[in-house]
Amino acid sequence: MAYRWGMAIDLDKCTGCEACVTACHAENNIPSVAPEQAGRGRAMHWLRVERYYEGDFPNVRVKFRPVLCQQCDNAPCEAVCPTYASHQNEDGLNAQVYNRCIGTRYCANACPYNVRFFNFFNPEWPKPLHLQLNPDVSIREVGVMEKCTFCIQRIKAAKTAAKAENRAMVDGALQTACSQACPTTAIVFGDLNDPNSRVARLAHSPRGTKLLEDLGAEPKITYLQKQPWHESDAY
Amino acid sequence: MNAIYGLYSDPTTAQQALDNLRSAGLSDAEITVISSEPFEHFEFGHRDAKTAMPWIAAAAGLFGLVTTYYLLGLSQMSWPLKTSGMPIAPLWTNLIIIFEMTMLSAILATVITLLVTAGLPSRGGKLYDPEVSDGYILVGVENPSDAGSLERALAIDGARVKKT
Amino acid sequence: MNRTLTRPIADDLIRPLFQTSVWFYAIVLAAGTVVACGLAAWLYQMWNGIGVAGIRWPVFWGFYLVNFVFWIGISHAGTLISAILRLVDAGWRRPVTRCAEVITVFALMIGAMFPIIHLGRPWLAFWLFPYPSEREIWPNFRSPLAWDFFAINTYLTGSVLFLFLPMIPDFALVRDRSTGWRRRVYGALALGWRGTTRQWNRLESAMQIMAIAILPVAVSVHTIVSFDFSMANVPMWHSTIFGPYFVAGAIFSGIAALIIAMAVLRKTLRLENYLLPLHFENLGKLLLLMSILWAYFVFAERLTVWYGNEPHEMAVFWATQRGEFAPLYWTMVVCNFVIPFVLLSNVYTRTITGCVVASFGVVIGMWLERFLIIVPSLAHKQLPYSWGTYGPRPVEITIMAATFAAMVLLYALFSKFVPIISIWELKAGQLSTSTHPSAHASQASHDSHSLRAAAPEVRP
Repeated sequence: MAYRWGMAIDLDKCTGCEACVTACHAENNIPSVAPEQAGRGRAMHWLRVERYYEGDFPNVRVKFRPVLCQQCDNAPCEAVCPTYASHQNEDGLNAQVYNRCIGTRYCANACPYNVRFFNFFNPEWPKPLHLQLNPDVSIREVGVMEKCTFCIQRIKAAKTAAKAENRAMVDGALQTACSQACPTTAIVFGDLNDPNSRVARLAHSPRGTKLLEDLGAEPKITYLQKQPWHESDAY
Repeated sequence: MNAIYGLYSDPTTAQQALDNLRSAGLSDAEITVISSEPFEHFEFGHRDAKTAMPWIAAAAGLFGLVTTYYLLGLSQMSWPLKTSGMPIAPLWTNLIIIFEMTMLSAILATVITLLVTAGLPSRGGKLYDPEVSDGYILVGVENPSDAGSLERALAIDGARVKKT
Repeated sequence: MNRTLTRPIADDLIRPLFQTSVWFYAIVLAAGTVVACGLAAWLYQMWNGIGVAGIRWPVFWGFYLVNFVFWIGISHAGTLISAILRLVDAGWRRPVTRCAEVITVFALMIGAMFPIIHLGRPWLAFWLFPYPSEREIWPNFRSPLAWDFFAINTYLTGSVLFLFLPMIPDFALVRDRSTGWRRRVYGALALGWRGTTRQWNRLESAMQIMAIAILPVAVSVHTIVSFDFSMANVPMWHSTIFGPYFVAGAIFSGIAALIIAMAVLRKTLRLENYLLPLHFENLGKLLLLMSILWAYFVFAERLTVWYGNEPHEMAVFWATQRGEFAPLYWTMVVCNFVIPFVLLSNVYTRTITGCVVASFGVVIGMWLERFLIIVPSLAHKQLPYSWGTYGPRPVEITIMAATFAAMVLLYALFSKFVPIISIWELKAGQLSTSTHPSAHASQASHDSHSLRAAAPEVRP
């Protein structure tokens, strides 16, 4: 059966440390923009940790929510791209084909999660920072849209290895950079089509919700958090 | 080329000249009427009015419609890429492009028909007098067989008759 | 029909082709300089990257898209005047029709530049053209941007042809009146036109068919431009009203642009006897009607949003009504509705000056309307953490100024080389009243307004 990559993020475990963000930057050759450009809203955090504050001092609670491309089944970003740079691949991922992108930025406008980022300038890695680039991931030039790919380079490598060794994929062996870096194992990545995988079981958890579910984009990331029990929940 | 024609300053006289030429035994195809504006309220303005242009435009539009429908379907199915859960070749969205290409085909066919049937662009060598641009109407005959009798037919109210 | 009636008309209307005032050179120089600055700004942007513009996360469309929609909207002037008035055989359209069609063609050309200017990789814009590429991929015909490509190109082709065809007899007229290089150039442009009854009938048939064809194309073009927004699930974009709303707004801004262009032509080319106060009256009434229609659409849309009280949409709603975009929003309402309504609803202020003032207001107001549709919605999408802001940068402002200058420049050049009023159409309209025996009195008085004024005192 075909793969269907998905994720479960446990918000009760997330501490907001942003190790996932750093790992994503390192793995995917995401350019760092200068402070002036970041101030102008050009920072490209494929995965960002949103902070929400509840209550007033001293009873303040902070809630963290890592937001990344939801790899929607009905992705609003796909149909609007005039050059098929954004489309759904055979694993159910929303593929961003850098070579086809001409930079109309319609996909970014159509994405309700604002998880698409644009290369406003040609990225630069002043020496010796160029040595830290991941050779498995291409560099994007100016005018090209990019976003979280669920570390498709790792997925491809794992699939190739499994095929070469004539075996099935082992759940948990393939990790995205963010799920690998997370110290609290809040991020779980795997194949939703494998009923025994952790992510497939967590996707059906009673603690699970989807972000902006009512928009109908059918995101593949399940957010787990303790649901408050209301009197009205009892029949 | 050999021609005889009269220049008239108003359409009523020009109509008279045309009728005179007809009673002199000439057919409509042999008579040339040239003016600097269309005279729709006069009979001579309606010569050569029959045209198949609307039908040609409609036919071209239909051709554009069918061609675009199949071209869209073919190109979309040649590499079916899934986007937003839509069908690979949705009729709703294809209709928009089909509509535009239908109209474009009709418009281009109209222009081409106009150029062909009006004889444009033409390199000249046909009967013409620049005084037409001053508002005169030219009524005349190319390669006349009997210039003398035609001269009488054309000379109305002291209008100028010229021979080339 | 007396020969003396038509020769002065032709004399007046082709005089600008043979005489050049110092003002022409001044305008061309000034506008040309601004256009050159705009080109330099665009090259600077292409060299350094689109990041020199003000767009940012999450407002990825800014001034360039605003100007795109604005100019495509302006281009609806010609279609309304030429096509609709031609189809209903309104005589007063005759002096106005070419001015309007010229606006259409040039506004379309300018507007069609913006989809290329705003691209991240504009050198690959040709990928929108459906050709069998070695990458074995075609454009995504499901995308509204692909629809834009087809719609704008169809409309541009149709409008250029619609403009050019009736120019042929006028080129023949200029050819016959000129000598030397002019005779050769206009002779070539006239395609050997003579004016036989056959040629006139074919031309009239073609114009009739094109008028019928160009109307649905015009409606479809701005509808498809509106689909660029309404197809995305962005708060206050995803509205079914956008198609008719944009078309009405386009016709609205188009008429305003036409009034301004006509007023300028009237002064600079001394066409006071051809572009009469009556023309401005009629266009002013149309402008008033479109202003009321625009207000109706805005009211219907905003009431629906407010009544529905959906949180995502209300964030955008309040941002425009009371928030950071409120000054622009209320300026737009004043410019698009209050000023035109006051000036155009009573006959005392519906003068040429009044119409021009109202039109300037409408042009500003409609530009603001495009801005207020695009930017507030993108700045306030569904997730509040990713709300943002937008401000234009010098590159965008320069390019925008250059497009206005380009319009002025192109218009000035056009009116220098082509008679801006269609001479044969004007003469034909005049003839239908003065000689046709069964012309009604009312028709005569209506159409006589398309005549030049009685006293033939205007001489070069």
